Amino acid sequence: MNRIEEWFAARDWPVFDFQRRAWAAYAEGKSGLIHAPTGSGKTLAAWGGPLLESLQDPPGALAYLWITPLRALAVDTSANLNRAVAGLGLDWEVGLRTGDTSAARRARLHKSPPPALVTTPESLALMLSYADSARRLGRVRAVVVDEWHELLGSKRGVLLELGLARLRALNPKMKIWGLSATLGNVDHALQVLLGPNRTGEQIGGDIERRIEIDTLLPPEIEHFPQSGRTGLNQLPGVLAALNRARSTLLFTNTRSQAELWFRAITAVVAWPDQVYLHHGSINRQQRLAAEEAVRTGRARCIVATSSLDLGVDFSPVDQVIQVGGPKGIARLIQRAGRSGHQPGAVSRLLCVPTHALEILEIAAARRQVERRRVESRTALSGSLDVAAQHLVSCALGGGFEPDAMRSELHDTHAYAGLDETHWQWLLDFVTRGGPTLQAYPGFRRVVLEDGRYRVSDRRIAARHRMSVGTISADGHLQVRFVKGGSLGQIEERFLTRLQPGEHFLFAGRLLRLERIRDMVAYVRLGKAQRPSVPRWAGGRLPLSTLLADAMLELFAASETQLPADLQAIAPLLARQARQSALPGPERLLVEQTQSRDGAHLFVYPFAGRLVHEGLAALLAWRLAQDSPRSFSMTVNDYGIELVCDQPVKLDEALLRRVLRAEDLERDILASLNAAEMARHRFRDIARVAGLVFQGFPGRQKRARQLQASSGLMFDMLSEHDPDNLLLDQARTEVLEAEMELTRLRATLDRIARQSLMVQQNERLTPLAFPLWADRLRSQLSTEDFQARVERMLAGMEREAPPRRPQRTTLRAGAQ
Amino acid sequence: MKVIRLGGHSLQLLPDRAVFWPRQKALLLADAHLGKDQVFRGAGVAVPAGVLATDLARIDALLTNTGAERLIVLGDWVHAPPQGGDDWPAQISAWRASHPHLAIDLVLGNHDRALDAWLAGWNIRAHSVALDLDGLCLVHEWTDAGGLPGLSGHLHPGAVIRHRRERVRLPAFLLGDEHLVLPAFGRFTGLMTATDFPARCRIAIAGERLHELPAGYQPLKPSTSRGKTAR
Repeated sequence: MNRIEEWFAARDWPVFDFQRRAWAAYAEGKSGLIHAPTGSGKTLAAWGGPLLESLQDPPGALAYLWITPLRALAVDTSANLNRAVAGLGLDWEVGLRTGDTSAARRARLHKSPPPALVTTPESLALMLSYADSARRLGRVRAVVVDEWHELLGSKRGVLLELGLARLRALNPKMKIWGLSATLGNVDHALQVLLGPNRTGEQIGGDIERRIEIDTLLPPEIEHFPQSGRTGLNQLPGVLAALNRARSTLLFTNTRSQAELWFRAITAVVAWPDQVYLHHGSINRQQRLAAEEAVRTGRARCIVATSSLDLGVDFSPVDQVIQVGGPKGIARLIQRAGRSGHQPGAVSRLLCVPTHALEILEIAAARRQVERRRVESRTALSGSLDVAAQHLVSCALGGGFEPDAMRSELHDTHAYAGLDETHWQWLLDFVTRGGPTLQAYPGFRRVVLEDGRYRVSDRRIAARHRMSVGTISADGHLQVRFVKGGSLGQIEERFLTRLQPGEHFLFAGRLLRLERIRDMVAYVRLGKAQRPSVPRWAGGRLPLSTLLADAMLELFAASETQLPADLQAIAPLLARQARQSALPGPERLLVEQTQSRDGAHLFVYPFAGRLVHEGLAALLAWRLAQDSPRSFSMTVNDYGIELVCDQPVKLDEALLRRVLRAEDLERDILASLNAAEMARHRFRDIARVAGLVFQGFPGRQKRARQLQASSGLMFDMLSEHDPDNLLLDQARTEVLEAEMELTRLRATLDRIARQSLMVQQNERLTPLAFPLWADRLRSQLSTEDFQARVERMLAGMEREAPPRRPQRTTLRAGAQ
Repeated sequence: MKVIRLGGHSLQLLPDRAVFWPRQKALLLADAHLGKDQVFRGAGVAVPAGVLATDLARIDALLTNTGAERLIVLGDWVHAPPQGGDDWPAQISAWRASHPHLAIDLVLGNHDRALDAWLAGWNIRAHSVALDLDGLCLVHEWTDAGGLPGLSGHLHPGAVIRHRRERVRLPAFLLGDEHLVLPAFGRFTGLMTATDFPARCRIAIAGERLHELPAGYQPLKPSTSRGKTAR
């Protein structure tokens, strides 16, 4: 029995086999990935290796780095790691360095670095930008990356890949261990973590916890809404469930839902002060208070969003409730894991559908959980903005030699395929601003000195360090009480639409906007009856392919024998089948209906909202090519609606033609306002690549002379350096990140194999109704800019005067 | 083009962000911010070259099209004082040499600092506060002190047009009570869509066209603006 096992035994903890395997692999000098659900002992599986190693060989400064994606997690994590260090009788401590760490504390950490440090990808990137980084970080024995699945697939993950490559170059024997929740593609996750052509151990948790998913059915299914989002009509049922349990974690899909549910629950329970709100925008203190309340057992209910999907390690609750469709299996399993932590215990999850079709979505999730199927995540590659930032960081951190740097980039998954052209462009971008032939006069950022690329200008160095990282705090306003006290931050876009005096719900309170000044929204407690709720951008996850496929299977299965858990929506399914037909894996359902609004065309590919947005634009554009017409479009996770004045005469040949996968990229670019979307996308790219400065979030110290918006930067580059590869990147990101082009192509390929079933209906079918009811329509516009402005102005004239004066934005211009 | 009346004069608002005053044969523009791209490049921000040449060529085109004999700049002709090694002042000198008969007046703006020697070299007549011409008061920055009818710049005014889910930001002229604020002339400048200026009407520029914005279209209340501070 080793020292860890003794410590486990002393505390009456079982040692799991996967933990032993992880410790052994580490002792052999191997790297690897540990994948298991939250709360199964992953942390100690990864931490045991370094601990046993340091018993043999006491660590020097910065021997171990523990990377965590969330600053909020770092405090808990370092406490956990320290407990184990003390438990083994070791006499050193784990330090903590994140964006929240005070300058004084950072200076102390810099002066006498601890043997182990918990930090974030951004803080690691920053540490690499200090001149003595090679000396300080050259003896890292092991890096543990916590919640790797969260970083995988994002630019933060790419930034970390680059940081790991740097550390590996400094110490080739360094071990890398990742911790991840269950993923559909563990091989890929491991490969990205370790870099191309390396091997490592995959260690899965042994505990297969059972998950049981219940559906909260409304008492009167006939009156259950066919569309809708908040689900507050289910409050009585949820209340009953809350009262039955000692502690409940209630997850919603969006922050606005969380605000509404928090308010509703506190208004009806007998214990309103034991209800807490937890989401990504509210103040850190309030978040920590919520976590603390769970730990101490004070909280009876926490209303949370995906902010709690990460492994905030707190004691399990009695029950977990999910409001709204699960949208994805991995997330649902993660959420379910918050209850019943005891080994062998069953994780129970109560799903609360907010409209009828979600009952089917929940049933589909139940099938996939039983089959143990989980979504995959794919890492990004080739993001030139992140590479440019890294080159400047390395130029600062002691400088780099071009050949060595290039091999270092090739040693990451993200840039393994970086070719000569792109490498040369990158180097030109940081040294000359643009390509050699048209070097930007007077540009200086990174300079070549004695064969090494360095940054010699101190102001450039300071500004670069200020903008290290890839998370955008752009467009957020702090929310503060007039009398002091911060509540958190909200998207600028929402707040600037409010007039002073108007009310909104935030951080669980009803607030009245007083004024906005210097990126701070000042508020007082309000007392209006009908406040608005912030709609956060990007809050809604599209339905995953895995879940969508199971839904289509269920539709098909219900034709022969209705599964027991779909009895509740039997009338709805019967009506759909009678009026029209049911969709299925083998067939694509298309419906046409005539109404006062015009001719409706419904298509149900079940491919998720993002894919449907691209597909709707594509269909409308291709149909308009045949005979010019204009469409308005609506999408949800299940299907698409196109409306136009005249019905489209659809036959199989025409449908096949407009749904073909050939020419997809060409047509989708033509159908969307791709230029404008790319301009919007450029916001983050410009910031990461160092073309715009935002300073620290919350701090207003900006280089005033250097203020320019990313949109202006985009225009200048498009006009004067149209071949700039960052513009290409913006266009690629629009297609991949906003349209899910790969998934869209897969959808069209599947449609090509499906039979087409075109139904003419007199009335809206149950599948059509939610699309019809959703009023957020977008218009397909193929006109040029000038024509578009004229049409908008004409539209405004027709509908004028607006009920409220038009709003304008607050972005300060470059002066 | 759109013609407005101000202080008894007829002024032509031009879509290339300038004003032509036929009676004085004068072209008026504000906030050119020449050399701004160079300031950015010097600080390590990769802004492509070509901005300055384009802006100067736009002035040429405006002079040719209007037949103006005089150029009046309402402040912020340049973005920052020239530094040793900057090549943009020489580009302006070359441009100036190609217009030997053009009279140029500059009402000094907050960015036009430490320029005396250069202005003399460019043969530009500087006015420290205002230029009163034929009953119009030309200033850089509008104040609510009242006085003569006039024109100004400084605000970089713009307008947001929203309809349904679409949203477009455009540079704009602001027309108030006997006062006109010009949009920033320089292409590498930003927009302010919220200002303290009491505009009666906004005339937005979309490409080659000017659009007077419909009634009911009001700027945001000043109290909520992230203010642009004068230096």
